[in-house]
Amino acid sequence: MKTVKVQAKVNQELCTGCRTCERVCPVYAAELVKEDKGFHVEIDPSLCVGCWNCEQRCPEHAIAMVACEPFDISTDVSLYDYGQIKELCRKARFHPKQLVCYCTATRAEELAAAILGGAASPEALVRATGVGSGCGIECNQTILRFLEAAGVAWERKKGSYQWMGRTMTNWEVPAEVKQKYAGFRFDSDREIMDRIVQAPVEP
Amino acid sequence: MYSKPLPPAPTRKSQYGVDPSLVQKRGAELSNITHVPLSELIPDQPSVIYPSARGLAAVRSETEAALAKVDMSMISEGKTVNILASHHGFTFLGGEPYAEMLRTIKDVVAQRTKAKEVRLRAGLGMRFRETEEYIKAFKLDEYFNGKAQGMAPIDAGIPIETSLGTLYGLKRAYDADFIIHAHNSDVREVHFHRQVDRAVKPFGMSYARCETRSTYHMNLGPRAANFVARAIFESPFVQSKFAFAAFMIMSPAGAVTVDADNDLYAINDRTTVGGMKNYGKIIHLFGAVDDCIVILDFPCPVPYVFASGVIYANMVGANIDLFDLDNPLPPYTWYTETYYREGGQPLIPDIPPVNPAIKAVVHNYAWVGYPAVFFAEHTPTIVVGQEQAELFNRDPMNLNYMKHALLADNLDAAMAFAYRTTGTDKVMIFDGASGGLNVSHSLADLLRRVAPGVNEKVDKVLLPKWLAQRDIDVQLLDQVA
Repeated sequence: MKTVKVQAKVNQELCTGCRTCERVCPVYAAELVKEDKGFHVEIDPSLCVGCWNCEQRCPEHAIAMVACEPFDISTDVSLYDYGQIKELCRKARFHPKQLVCYCTATRAEELAAAILGGAASPEALVRATGVGSGCGIECNQTILRFLEAAGVAWERKKGSYQWMGRTMTNWEVPAEVKQKYAGFRFDSDREIMDRIVQAPVEP
Repeated sequence: MYSKPLPPAPTRKSQYGVDPSLVQKRGAELSNITHVPLSELIPDQPSVIYPSARGLAAVRSETEAALAKVDMSMISEGKTVNILASHHGFTFLGGEPYAEMLRTIKDVVAQRTKAKEVRLRAGLGMRFRETEEYIKAFKLDEYFNGKAQGMAPIDAGIPIETSLGTLYGLKRAYDADFIIHAHNSDVREVHFHRQVDRAVKPFGMSYARCETRSTYHMNLGPRAANFVARAIFESPFVQSKFAFAAFMIMSPAGAVTVDADNDLYAINDRTTVGGMKNYGKIIHLFGAVDDCIVILDFPCPVPYVFASGVIYANMVGANIDLFDLDNPLPPYTWYTETYYREGGQPLIPDIPPVNPAIKAVVHNYAWVGYPAVFFAEHTPTIVVGQEQAELFNRDPMNLNYMKHALLADNLDAAMAFAYRTTGTDKVMIFDGASGGLNVSHSLADLLRRVAPGVNEKVDKVLLPKWLAQRDIDVQLLDQVA
């Protein structure tokens, strides 16, 4: 669960309209709006998940994170069929109780539930669970693996730097790579990951 | 008689830490704190060029000497060059030695080639403005004629075709005709890289997009992950741009020399061996500590605070042999962290616990900007100062940190509580002190007592095993500082 305590606010005086905020936002909350004489950037508070990406990358330091009325982002796992949740987690090769986001303490079962609830893109999963709104780095592939496992086709917003694509997992490493680079212990690590995926749901 | 503690590394003004004025007392100022020189614990440590009487001039001259052996003929007239750096280097010894190595590389390349432009591109971890802060602090933008930039893993990316399929680099890292890989050799995140391709790792991290970093930490497994960097480095795209590498060679006591080579794998072999030789003993010495209170007191995020050149994350895992590749999962890695249930039970029984010798952690001064909840969840943690707690409460990576930590008004109160509740008087301070270790008298006694045995075991038993696991000739041991 993510408790959003701050949201981005643009100082329009400093903004040069470079669109960096638009491009680094994981939920597409920032938008450059063109006007007759110039432009301004809008950050939609109903979408902003308080990740700080725009504040951290704005070259003009034109964005501040300001306190907001705290609100929680999460998906209630109990509202969905746990059999389906388990199936989707296993298909994505995660254990349902496995932690998938270090920053928000989100577990795999919640990502599965959010997808079952209709989240059909990376940004929708971020908005539904808070996953990906902390460091913005490590759970990137987890999100994309879940969407693919669910058979969800999604499109990257034009111009965005985010969500470039899913990459290879251990289960897909070509045999010739494993053979040539045996010292990296692909199979032994895969055995551990398989055991994690197959571990009982309850201890 | 116990000697005085060493001066801790100074605090640093940064958006990722509390204002230095709020750090009212350092761990080294506590009573019963002494220092143990590294030379006493590990007599065969190599001599260092920095810190030394020669100052930064030693770094410059060693860099020049190392670069003299490097072929730069591929950088012809009118070409552009990116010197690729990482934030880690700036955290050593105040940061100036690494900055001086970068300046020297720039000067030598500009002098020896007719490159149109020599730029600095400094990658980072999770604090997206951290290298901007270093570039400013060390006036590197001026030195690079306005061509020094930080780069973050969410910046514009570039697909790179590799033997692992498409991975993603940072566009800005590769927007020159040639790249120079300028890094450092300390073992640092041995819990992640396991001293496998240590010298190659930045190609999968500092110079990579978040998709690639996530591949490393989520997709491949704790040891196989290290192939990500090699896959990128060996790609035709990167090979077409790679000119050479220059490394500041580190030991727990400081900078030993500068190594440079057109063959990154030659440096990789040397740094692999040197790292195991020079850091293996101190990390195993940490593992011999039976119980202690740890004080975090350094301008870096929780796992990256230093004691005698070793980061706290390695103390967290010092209850197993982190260099032994037969141990698949260290007590702390991001794979391990994901394998715990919500209530704290591991998903499979063979997940090694966090080092049980750490009885309490006093968080006197350490930064935000790295997901550190795991540490507070697994070890009793006392944070000093309301301002520091608030900083963590606002940090999107640490929203839950204070849910698991206690708050103390000041360091003395935190220590009093830690002493009372743990029953130990052994204290280990991660404060970046140079040349030794700031510890309590009782821990100094223990370290002195166990060091000879640890050194012998590493030399006679462990080093040969580690080298064999990595298929490295044991004779390289004698050739590496």
